Amino acid sequence: MLSFIILMSLVICFSAILALALNFQWGLGGMINFGLAGLYALGAYACAILILKLNINFFWSTILSMLLVSLVCALISIVTLRVSEEDYFAIVTLGVGEMLRLIALNEDWLTGGALGLTGIPRPLSDSIPADIYIYVFLATYVFILLICIFLLNIIARSAFGRSMRAIREDDVVAVTLGKNLLWTRARIFAVGGLLIGLAGSMHAFYYQYIDPTQFSNIVVAYAIMAVIAGGKGSHFGVVIGSILIMILLEGSRFLKEIIPGLGSDQLSAVRIIIIGVGLILVLIYKPNGFVKEYRLNA
Amino acid sequence: MINERNRRKTIKTIGAVAASPIYMPFLNLAHAQGSTIPIGVALPMTGNAGAYGPDMAEAAKRTTELINRSGGILGGRKLQLYIEDSESSASVAANLTQKFINVHKCQSLVGYWGTPEGLSSRPIAIQNKVVLMVSSAANSITEGDTQGYVWRFQMKATDWGTVIGRSLQKMGYKSVGVMGLQNAFILPIMRSVEDQMRDSGRTVTDSLIYNPEQPSYRAEVQRIFGKKPEVVCCFSLLPDFVSIMKEVYRGGFTSKVVSLSIAADSEGKFLQAVGPQVAEGIRHFQPMPDTSSSGYKRFTKLMGAPESKLFLFPPNTHDQIAVTALAMERAKSVQAVDWAKQIINVCNGPGEKVDDIVEALKLVRAGKPVNFEGAGSTCDFTNSGDQLGRGMGQWIVENGKNNFVSYEKP
Repeated sequence: MLSFIILMSLVICFSAILALALNFQWGLGGMINFGLAGLYALGAYACAILILKLNINFFWSTILSMLLVSLVCALISIVTLRVSEEDYFAIVTLGVGEMLRLIALNEDWLTGGALGLTGIPRPLSDSIPADIYIYVFLATYVFILLICIFLLNIIARSAFGRSMRAIREDDVVAVTLGKNLLWTRARIFAVGGLLIGLAGSMHAFYYQYIDPTQFSNIVVAYAIMAVIAGGKGSHFGVVIGSILIMILLEGSRFLKEIIPGLGSDQLSAVRIIIIGVGLILVLIYKPNGFVKEYRLNA
Repeated sequence: MINERNRRKTIKTIGAVAASPIYMPFLNLAHAQGSTIPIGVALPMTGNAGAYGPDMAEAAKRTTELINRSGGILGGRKLQLYIEDSESSASVAANLTQKFINVHKCQSLVGYWGTPEGLSSRPIAIQNKVVLMVSSAANSITEGDTQGYVWRFQMKATDWGTVIGRSLQKMGYKSVGVMGLQNAFILPIMRSVEDQMRDSGRTVTDSLIYNPEQPSYRAEVQRIFGKKPEVVCCFSLLPDFVSIMKEVYRGGFTSKVVSLSIAADSEGKFLQAVGPQVAEGIRHFQPMPDTSSSGYKRFTKLMGAPESKLFLFPPNTHDQIAVTALAMERAKSVQAVDWAKQIINVCNGPGEKVDDIVEALKLVRAGKPVNFEGAGSTCDFTNSGDQLGRGMGQWIVENGKNNFVSYEKP
């Protein structure tokens, strides 16, 4: 059981980082990103390709994949300069995400196409003894998650964080007050992109096999749920939201152990119902999520 | 005040039920492990292959009950199944595999219908030295060094192409158009059919791969059918094949159509979706058990179904459980590192050919060699874990019915 909890904790770490990225772009910056799954795939594929095809080590592969996703995100925000309405912007991101997913599916020579990429090595798996590797792996993932929360908190409390919130609340007022809308939006999306690239790389290292089916829009749905449940704008809350969603998803598989006669097909439906009911209850009784967004005291 | 109290009580109760999955993993599961032998079964209960999971689960349960009723294995130990929904998803299947291995301590993982599920679970099984038995067809499942832990209970994708290509030649078609879904197991089938047609001097008028979940397939249909080949091979899954055939009917194209049964039959769902006029004349192929074999007849009896009932995938699940039990009994061990080596011995022989798992177990207990013949195939394997001895059925849709045409081996 301990091993399973450790492995699910690893999944929680990179799911939480992905949700933090969405929270940064949408929760703090007001820029909804429906292309999250495609950008997440870009991060995972870039990291895997750099390792498998160019023999670049895991550290630089991760850094380069983060920078690549960040660059793509910045470009999205720049080319959508005139698309400032949130719903139109969402459609653009959805299109970009779908485009990236189709590239992963069809460019066999690079991505392995529908077969995906296998044999992605875990970092330092040759140098760390196998019996303690999983603990070191978990400690590293938790450390990375904590660093992300720490850095995001610093950004949220900085002048840039205040500009982000100002643009989210009313971009016309923010521009009137002298804020550079294009530059701020590009930075919001680029910083979120760094996190998406990081989460994608961590996903590739964990599963050691990636294919396009792993990056469907359900990824976006879970990230949005984590942000809503945790509290839009709150980094700590989003991590709690991610933990709860993963516990509901994987923990509900154990319902069969205590409810006799519950079949596997019925359990599938019950699990989805539990998640849905949980989200509805949160929206009714905690409309702002579990943790409120950080605000400076007047 | 009373209403307020009741409301709070109700909220607390709902909250406790909703939160139950949080503490469930920490409950003591020792009762589930004990002296039983756990087997992890990952099947598609939901998602695009959700139609196939329930029957496969039933086959797994009935086979396990049969083995347990006959005294179990290794001196009376019972098999215990942990059946889970793979949601037709690679990530979910990988997480399930971790659960089977780390929580339930399974040494045998069976089911794994789709290629993504098999491919994502393969490295985990090999790393943990646990046997993975899949029902997926993509060649890559058994390619590379599997260390004897990965076994395919299904025809390899290229073998599907071999049978279909040969049948097209027998039917005398001179020109063929090929279109297929971008999917790991369909691409090798397409390539195999195209190569055979070209090698035998036929013309491949055009070939294309399309993406899943497109809003329309009109352009693809125009391109392939517009060149008027005598026959079009359309290798699809049900949702895209329904859209494609509606476009073909609307466009008035006259080329004959050949497809896979998972698209053009799919337990009768295709006919329900398009009606008999659109489906008329479509030929479709699918790996299937030899329904005339006594192993298959015994299986239909086990399932409580008439002998004429065709089960495509559940016999594979039966065979996976049976082979697990036989190999464990032969190795006198539940550790996959020991019994994985016995799989080929109990399946390929030498020894008496037996298609009844209870009789086969008796022979193994008596120390006699056995050559197990399964319900889904003769259960013979190559050293790399590919299954031999499974054939392919061909059907044609006539007057709103799927009529069986032939059964052929690659």
